[in-house]
Amino acid sequence: MKILVVEDEPSLREIIRTSLLKEKHIVETADTYRSALLKIEDYDYDCILLDIMLPDGNGLELLKQIKSLKKRANVIIVSAKDSLDDKVDGLNLGADDYLAKPFHLAELNARIRSVARRNNYEGNDFISLGNVRLFPESREVFVGESALDLGRKEYDLLYYFINTPERLINKYSLAELVWGDHIDQADSFDFIYAQIKNLRKKLKAAGSDYEIKAVYGIGYKFVKGNSSE
Amino acid sequence: MKLIHHISYRMLIALTLVLSVWAAFFYTAIMDEVNDEVDDSLEDYADIIIRRSLGGDELPQDKNTNNQYYLTLISASEAAATPIISYKDSMVYIQEKKETEPARVLDIVYRDSLDRYLKLTVLTPAIEKHDLIEELRNWLLFLYATLLVVLIGCNVWLFKKSLKPFYTLMRWIDRYKLGSSHEPLNNHTNVTEFKRLNEAVIRSFERNEKLFEKQKQFIGDVSHEVQTPLAITIGRLEMLMEDETMNERQLEELYKAHRDLEYLTNLNKSLLLLAKIDNSQFTDLKLINMGELLSQYLPDYQEIYSLKEIDVKVEKKSDFTVYMSETLASVLLTNLLKNSFVHTPEHGAIHINIDQNSIVFSNTAEEGALDGDKIFRRFYKREGKGSSSGLGLAIAMSISKQYNLRLSYSYQSGFHRFRLERI
Repeated sequence: MKILVVEDEPSLREIIRTSLLKEKHIVETADTYRSALLKIEDYDYDCILLDIMLPDGNGLELLKQIKSLKKRANVIIVSAKDSLDDKVDGLNLGADDYLAKPFHLAELNARIRSVARRNNYEGNDFISLGNVRLFPESREVFVGESALDLGRKEYDLLYYFINTPERLINKYSLAELVWGDHIDQADSFDFIYAQIKNLRKKLKAAGSDYEIKAVYGIGYKFVKGNSSE
Repeated sequence: MKLIHHISYRMLIALTLVLSVWAAFFYTAIMDEVNDEVDDSLEDYADIIIRRSLGGDELPQDKNTNNQYYLTLISASEAAATPIISYKDSMVYIQEKKETEPARVLDIVYRDSLDRYLKLTVLTPAIEKHDLIEELRNWLLFLYATLLVVLIGCNVWLFKKSLKPFYTLMRWIDRYKLGSSHEPLNNHTNVTEFKRLNEAVIRSFERNEKLFEKQKQFIGDVSHEVQTPLAITIGRLEMLMEDETMNERQLEELYKAHRDLEYLTNLNKSLLLLAKIDNSQFTDLKLINMGELLSQYLPDYQEIYSLKEIDVKVEKKSDFTVYMSETLASVLLTNLLKNSFVHTPEHGAIHINIDQNSIVFSNTAEEGALDGDKIFRRFYKREGKGSSSGLGLAIAMSISKQYNLRLSYSYQSGFHRFRLERI
């Protein structure tokens, strides 16, 4: 995928770029409203990550430009403001997703994949990885032909895993997914552990190609199952 | 104790003291005056008798006066031992009345022409002192009561009248809430002291308001500024952790650093949220049905905490609706819900009772009662709950206050109860 990162903070821009390059994306960056606009006018992108606060303009204005230029790029707004108004405005203006800073790189990757999938593979209303198929509309999951009975949170976790295969997801980003924002994080890891354990068991019992692998005590990876096992 | 009661009480004591002392003086003065008069008349009477007896005239046989006299012959030595003139009060039998009465008695010793020593005793019935004292006491009591009523009445009236601006000011201060809108102080007065008090209070409140604003602004700004560097550092650590060449020990260290940064991020987010709540920045107001909202979140928590096998019971008598921000309503409910689930021991119970004006979360307590004052404070942590930021309940409290709800804690027969109710 060809992605444009519009972000004025150099350090953050570099990290996002490095992380996206790892995913084999083609990454371009812009640090101001003007330079971003020039790039958008001249080139086509599959996805644009848009910071709302830019030194010489507002990201939402840029979003309007993108839409008026009839670009078919997916837009994900990235904002430090974490304000509901921005989120609502952004989505109303046609943004595909909204991500509040600070975010986890794994989360960003998952969002990009999910947005791209939603818009680019029309007709295909499911996400598949190996023999695991996930239907976001109905929140159903199939392994091969058999349906998997998952709890709500188990489904959310699987959705996250399936969008970021082969990458380390640390426990914190999972905890955030399970709990949402603004909640005291007391002892949440025990429960993450229990949830993952259940999910793992269910996937294994259904004969999934992919499995959740624990990476030392720090997180998990969704990887292709070891055939020797 | 109210100030007016205080003043009246003091006045009562002061008045009692003053009137008692005054009564004593008054009594002594009157008695002195009366005795003086009686003594003078006795002396005159004695003079007449002595003059007549010395002159050989007939002694008076006056039956019209109450005065009586006796003449006694005494020896020279006896005369030398007694003072020439002496007054005394004593009880005397009065023949005419045939009863004993108090009398004023004058003894005079003199020598007649025959060189005999004679003692003249003149006496006259005196005032009944008991009667006088009683009368005096009655009138004093009457005066005391009248004075008291009048003085207290005057006092109350004056008090109410002149302290009106003070009470107006006090009511205004009572209603005043820092950081929220308030009516201007309308307290006109011509009294300099009250004018200055008004001004001083307004000045001090304005200063507080400014400080409060600044503090809020500061917290908001700092949290905001901190976010980006946090995001960057966390991102770098995450990238490093994905590096396949890292060994376990290095990863472990990275993970620990990452964990602490995550804690910081959460803290920061919570502080930002608090700042935003206090600034009333949530505008997605609508009528929220708490019971319905709760039923959206409850299954998630039951699922997440299925391991603990908690017995959850929801009893809904009627709908509890509040006009508030939907975002904040969710934050409020999920914080309370999570609090209940986290602090319930395995196989414990959670009861949620909803009625028209309140929603109550009760959960089995692991230990005894909590400190009801401290648990809602920012950064209050119980021991052994290290990963908690200690802001969850503070946030819930902040939201409650914003929408005129009261959030309170109580402990009842082994259950922690968090009650959210309309004020």
